[in-house]
Amino acid sequence: MNNLTSQQRKFVYLGAILLLLIPIIALGMPSDGTPNSGGSIARLRQKLDLGESDLGDLDPSGAAMNLALLGLRGVAANILWMKVDEQRNQKDWAELRITTDSIIRLQPHFEKVWEYNGWNMAYNVSSEWDAVPDRYFWVKEGGKFMQRGVERNRRSSYLRWYVGRIYGPKIGLSDEARYFRRYFRQDPDPRFKNGPDPEFNANDEDNYLVAKRWFQEANDAEANGARQNIMDRSIFRSYPARSQLDYAAVLYKYGFNEEYDREVGDRTLTNDEAKALEVRVREKLKEDTRAAWALGLDDWTRRYGQELFSVEYLPGVIVQMRLEMSEDELQNLGKTPEGIAQLRRAVDQYQKMNNYRYWRTRALCESETNTAEAHWSLFAAGEEYLKQNTAEAQEFAEKSMELFEKTLEKYPELRDEDNFVEEALKSVLIWNKVLNLRGTKPPETFPLKSLWDAKQAMVPEIERRFERDSRSKN
Amino acid sequence: MSTTGQPREAVIEIRNLTKIYRDFWGRKKVRAVNALSLDVYKGEVFGLLGPNGSGKTTTLKMLLGLLFPTEGEIKILGQSASDVRKNERIGYLPEESYLYRFLTGEETLDFYGRLFNMSGSERKQRTDDLLKLVKVEHARKRQLKEYSKGMTRRIGLAQALINHPDLILLDEPTSGLDPLGSRDMKDLILDLKKQGKTIVMCSHLLADVQDVCDRIAILYGGELKVLGRVDELLKSQNQTQVLSDQLSPAAQAEVEAVLKKHGAKYQVDHPTANLEELFLRTVQESKERPGRRLIADEPTSKT
Amino acid sequence: MNFDSVPFPLDTSFQLWLTVFGSATLIVLIVSLLATVASLGSRGLGVFANELGAMLGDFVSISPRRVFALAQLTFREAYRRKALMVFVVFAILLMFAGWFLTSSNLQPEFQVKVYVSFVLRALSWLVLPVVLLLACWGIPEDIRLRSMHTVVTKPARRLEIVLGRMLGFSFIGLLVLTAMATVGGFWIRRQLPAEAQAQLICRQPISGELSFRDREGNDKDEQGEALKQGINVGDIWLFHSFIEGATKARAVWTFDDVGPDVLDAEGNLLLENRFQAFRSHKGDMKRSIYFQYIFFNPETGVRAPYDLKTVEENRGRTDRIPRKFASVSGTGGITDRKTYDLIEDLVTKNGQLTVEVACVDPGQYLGMARPDLFIRTTDLPFESGYIKAVVCIALMLLVVTFIGVSVSTFVKGPVATFLTFVIVIVSYSARDFMGTIIGDPDALAKAKQYSGMQEMKKLDGGGVLESIYRILTHMNPTTELPAGPATAVMKTIDTGMVNFLWLVYRILPNFDYFTKSQLYVANGFDVPFNPSVLGCLMITLAYFIPCVILGYFALRVRELEAK
Repeated sequence: MNNLTSQQRKFVYLGAILLLLIPIIALGMPSDGTPNSGGSIARLRQKLDLGESDLGDLDPSGAAMNLALLGLRGVAANILWMKVDEQRNQKDWAELRITTDSIIRLQPHFEKVWEYNGWNMAYNVSSEWDAVPDRYFWVKEGGKFMQRGVERNRRSSYLRWYVGRIYGPKIGLSDEARYFRRYFRQDPDPRFKNGPDPEFNANDEDNYLVAKRWFQEANDAEANGARQNIMDRSIFRSYPARSQLDYAAVLYKYGFNEEYDREVGDRTLTNDEAKALEVRVREKLKEDTRAAWALGLDDWTRRYGQELFSVEYLPGVIVQMRLEMSEDELQNLGKTPEGIAQLRRAVDQYQKMNNYRYWRTRALCESETNTAEAHWSLFAAGEEYLKQNTAEAQEFAEKSMELFEKTLEKYPELRDEDNFVEEALKSVLIWNKVLNLRGTKPPETFPLKSLWDAKQAMVPEIERRFERDSRSKN
Repeated sequence: MSTTGQPREAVIEIRNLTKIYRDFWGRKKVRAVNALSLDVYKGEVFGLLGPNGSGKTTTLKMLLGLLFPTEGEIKILGQSASDVRKNERIGYLPEESYLYRFLTGEETLDFYGRLFNMSGSERKQRTDDLLKLVKVEHARKRQLKEYSKGMTRRIGLAQALINHPDLILLDEPTSGLDPLGSRDMKDLILDLKKQGKTIVMCSHLLADVQDVCDRIAILYGGELKVLGRVDELLKSQNQTQVLSDQLSPAAQAEVEAVLKKHGAKYQVDHPTANLEELFLRTVQESKERPGRRLIADEPTSKT
Repeated sequence: MNFDSVPFPLDTSFQLWLTVFGSATLIVLIVSLLATVASLGSRGLGVFANELGAMLGDFVSISPRRVFALAQLTFREAYRRKALMVFVVFAILLMFAGWFLTSSNLQPEFQVKVYVSFVLRALSWLVLPVVLLLACWGIPEDIRLRSMHTVVTKPARRLEIVLGRMLGFSFIGLLVLTAMATVGGFWIRRQLPAEAQAQLICRQPISGELSFRDREGNDKDEQGEALKQGINVGDIWLFHSFIEGATKARAVWTFDDVGPDVLDAEGNLLLENRFQAFRSHKGDMKRSIYFQYIFFNPETGVRAPYDLKTVEENRGRTDRIPRKFASVSGTGGITDRKTYDLIEDLVTKNGQLTVEVACVDPGQYLGMARPDLFIRTTDLPFESGYIKAVVCIALMLLVVTFIGVSVSTFVKGPVATFLTFVIVIVSYSARDFMGTIIGDPDALAKAKQYSGMQEMKKLDGGGVLESIYRILTHMNPTTELPAGPATAVMKTIDTGMVNFLWLVYRILPNFDYFTKSQLYVANGFDVPFNPSVLGCLMITLAYFIPCVILGYFALRVRELEAK
């Protein structure tokens, strides 16, 4: 180089600059908005949806922070993440909340960050608090946090699914479910004046219905190409329908008290008024549960059951299948006899994996008026028994037993489903107890006798649970 | 050798002064000043001359304690150069404007006044006087960064005088000044001399040096080449200068005749600024014969 | 509060400071003596003595006027170069901070914590870089532009330059901080949601000493030492320890100097606690876990149980205990009702009050640490603690300024900035870790809380080289290294490194005191003079002296012209 004159050197530099410019332009030219414009990176970004504004809302403060960190945001986020962990260990919840916000300001488009930290609040932090309203508060914080994550990552199906998890099982299935479900519609925070937190349950709905919507959105996003890697696709797609079924099931469990208390509100009722209200609520719920199960059946069999999945039935063997398939469809899709057999086995395997048939039968049976009647008669029998109204209790129990008997005759496969059997046996149990109270011996034959005799092993546990529930009601 | 006959009191005594600049690893890089010895006497104006890199600024900075000598000794106003107490009686005008550019003229003088532990009223008085003296009174409230180069030199001189110094060190006092300002500066220097102050100045502007300096030293390559009284240095041993004003052609012819008669080679001419000649000659000869002292003034070195 | 505030150990820290400072000074003196003698021969001895004398002389002859002149110069420089603009940045930050902070709907106490710690953190982290940059660039720029020449050629001592610079930068820092703190204080008052305003107070706690009794009622462990810990319920961080419900396990607090003056205006004793609840079974979830205060007078043997109270986990509760209260005690249906006077009957003659805390629910646990129960005396207004916290921030800024100025006397601006920045960051983040490596008792005590309350020792596995060797050869840290010269060399180098680390650890400022002072206010407590303000003050002083000396020394021995 030293032999070159300064002019020559400059030309060499210029040449090198031009040479370097070629790949830079080829790779890095920004897109002008039309498809397939710009450099190859821009095109790739379009193709893979990597543009930041495509992902969801932009946060100017976060962008500024990233700039200030000179590309060290990954490092900074890691440090903050470690800090969150330490703050959790030290039970420094206020600081934890702020640090979490700082992290997502740095990594707003990293779904895992949202999911982990939202989960952390809804599950880990929540359980660190002793008072149930406090626990609920942190469940809400986690849920709201993840929803903000969805705003920032509009296409994500993954995050939506996790939001659904908080609305659904976290509120409806945890140990505190009885309280959480109530708080969901009557927030303990005095600011909400006994109504729901508008940021968390804007339309004052049941938590499972909100969850269903989120799961549905997750499915829609997934259908639009947002991949999820949480679980097998055939299970992932079942969640909206499952939420509907969960909703129907949970109405049996908590529905009456929740509805009754909502109806009463701040009023004090006379005995007659209370009695009338009880009947009214029961009647309403009878229809509500039936309708919920009917909708669940529809969701389960007509929507979820009709989805086309391509599954790897055996290593290397990919088949197209639906969970609900008529014989014709099997023939059409399977084509060859061998293919049909394979498909049949695949459907069977996936139906088992998703507990598909159980829910189908259950929903079918529960959506009948008789079944709803059976359940709510059983419920009434229990209530009357507790109030020592033995005559009413006996009447309701016998009605319930008859109806359960009929249902089991119609759906004999339910004899092997513990949940359903438990309900049926409970009606006999209450009936026995009432008779005992009234000093009469049970007759030789009664409805459900064969079931009662066959499943005696289950009775002590059912009795224990019944006693416990009765105690906690008083 | 005193021209006035009084015993001369040395204000600055430099003995065998050597400065070697070293690089990061401590290796010798430049010998900036080499075995320099000279004295500056009370009440004189002393000029330090030399081409760029000759070591005159290094010498000045060692005098001020900004640089530490590698070898040799400096006594300035009877104290060691590293002793900060000597600064009480010294005024220093640095080469360029090293003043704080964000201060106003007034604040500058007040600040340096305070460094001399002067009281408030004294500072105020002195500030007013000096601003008047160096003629920047009109700009006393303006920040120095708005000053012209000439004004900066003036305010620089003012700060050097704030403490009524006995010894004034001026680094290129007239650089950047217009002829008028340059004249003012020289008048001021002569005025200070009259007040009995000792002045040491470095300058490239030989005419200025010639105008104001009593004695000069010319440095080359860190070595002292010439030292002596300006008038004597310019007096050539084998030449005689006859100066006259308004010599008529007739009178001139007469003089020439006398000279001819004595067999002298002569030349009739107008006087020139021949310090420049001396300077150029010194530099030239130093290049040809390095390490030789060209003209000795008086034996300053006692060792 | 997630830390225990122990008084600032004045005597031991002074001793330590003296050791570190003294030995450092000695080393510098010896090295410079040797260097002078080496370069100048026997004459060097005299030169060295002269220099030393001159340096000491400079300390005696400091002129306040000159120092102030330099400080004012420094201030003017920063002011005219618009360093105070950072204040504008802060104002803008506050204007928009509301957007991010109000979105959170935490409970009032937490809101206070969020707002207060945000402001205090913003204060320290915004002023810090300004002060750091100013301090690190002032002298190097002065030298580079040679303005310093005009100063050192005046009778200004270099010591005075260092002092003046430090003073000037400190003043700028303090001015900016004061302005920001004022705005910040008003901002908190204005922005904090109405429901949280009431929580904007400074509690003045009287803390006691905490000991435990186990489930059999023993107050000593097997070694006969007083029980300082309860049960570990599986927390990772073992700051809190637990007592089992419905057993003889107790947490026993003893408070000194209790008299009628600690009661509130109505004559109640305010006991505030931050107990934690741990359930080994869910029990009735709606119902909180119950605990009980039992007042005990060891002189008379009187034990007066007070009413049952519920734990309000993570919120804390204040119990007003009237001076005269009825106590119901007894078991097995026989109840004994007595009225006690808290001060007369239950406080010992030398003013000691013993409060035993019992968990009532069987199978459930109550968790606590020393700061979790205290007597709450009259609250101070929020501003009282806020101002003290700001004072502590100010002191931290001073420490950074001193370090910055000192460092900038011997290296150039960018290097000084980097070095000071590293010192600050490492002190903040890695000091504790270094402490555990060198085996510093304080750091080990902190680490102990994360190690199952095991007494911590220096980490196994040796130093850097040994660790590398062990990792590469998959050797267990408990296995002895093979004897031989290689091991000896390795161990020597490692020891040298650890010793160096010891020095670094000791030189790095302990920012704990500064950060903790902020936590007090954020948690609704007044900042105690000891340890917080005193600690910060002492640390500042401890850095001031060596920094001045180092800065002076460095500036004196360097040639200002050398580039």
